[in-house]
Amino acid sequence: MEQEKNQSKVGIGAYIALAVAILFFSGLFMKVEGMKWLSAFDFTTLGGTFGTMKDPAKNTFIGAGGVSAKAGFLFALSLAPTVMLALGCLEVLTHYGAIRAAHKLLTPLLHPLLSLPGKTGLALITDLQSTDAGAALTKELYDEGEINKKELTIMGAWQYSGAGLINNYFAIGSALFSVLKLPIILPLLLMFGLKFAGGMFVRFVLNTVYKEDFKDEQ
Amino acid sequence: MSNNTNKTNNNPFDIFVIGARKGFTVATQNLLPNVLMAYTLSEILNLLGVMKMIGSIFGPAMGLFGLPGEAVTVLLTAWLSSSAGTGIAVSLLSKGIIDGTHATILIPAIFLLGSQIQYMGRLLGVADVPKKYWPLLMLTSILNACIAMVVMNILV
Repeated sequence: MEQEKNQSKVGIGAYIALAVAILFFSGLFMKVEGMKWLSAFDFTTLGGTFGTMKDPAKNTFIGAGGVSAKAGFLFALSLAPTVMLALGCLEVLTHYGAIRAAHKLLTPLLHPLLSLPGKTGLALITDLQSTDAGAALTKELYDEGEINKKELTIMGAWQYSGAGLINNYFAIGSALFSVLKLPIILPLLLMFGLKFAGGMFVRFVLNTVYKEDFKDEQ
Repeated sequence: MSNNTNKTNNNPFDIFVIGARKGFTVATQNLLPNVLMAYTLSEILNLLGVMKMIGSIFGPAMGLFGLPGEAVTVLLTAWLSSSAGTGIAVSLLSKGIIDGTHATILIPAIFLLGSQIQYMGRLLGVADVPKKYWPLLMLTSILNACIAMVVMNILV
């Protein structure tokens, strides 16, 4: 029964997909004279090449001149040590209370800048580390009636731009750290500041453009 | 057994190892597939000649931030996934299309508008932020990213 159902679902799209798969893996597009762009649809070409030791004194195991999937794989692999180091250190510093201290420092800023109650501080700080945990805590605050819709939206704005900031920056952004022209803390501080700017902007818009929506909430 | 784990949990070296393990997971489960995808995608765009086209179309707009037009691909990809956006930035660096200065201008923007599509579900959806305001929040993130690029362009 079920098999029949599945069989009846094979439409024109499925045959096109099969044709594309055959062409993609066939190697027919690899070297078409005068139409180099066709190789963009060729499996072997997109597999790419590893870099080579063009300058052994300077090249790492990634080599130089690699392209596409193979180059990307080796490059991503080269990031693993620093990502592990960064998250390991963050874990230790969190264990010794870095987050609790940040929470304490952040709380007095919440009301004047975002008109949020101090209780929201933990959810916001948590968002700096983990988007998902921050979101869960925020929902809890709303479900328990600690914040209203407007405050929820402002919290959402603060969290949404640059969510999981610290972990994402050190885990993913570290790929670019070696080429940055400024100390790596500067972009982080700027992003942190802009989270507040974004929250304040949303607060302003909610208080003006959407004023009617929140007439009943106080 | 459970006593044992409680004890080891307070040892800073063990805590470090827990974090490092998370880092390995991020690097292999998150970064690696995304970077591989980004490198391949940018090679496709390159072979099709789309990259050059994007470069000339977006040249003037990106020029406002002191960036070459091709840099717009970093921002568009970052919008889908910060890891992929970072991957594109790195592959443009390796091709010499952008340099360290451009990467410095881009890095805060990558995260300020990063992974918005994913986070709609994971953040705004989970926290139950009213859908009516989602576009406003998205606009805010994009504004944030633009401000960040202007500021970085001045600083760098």
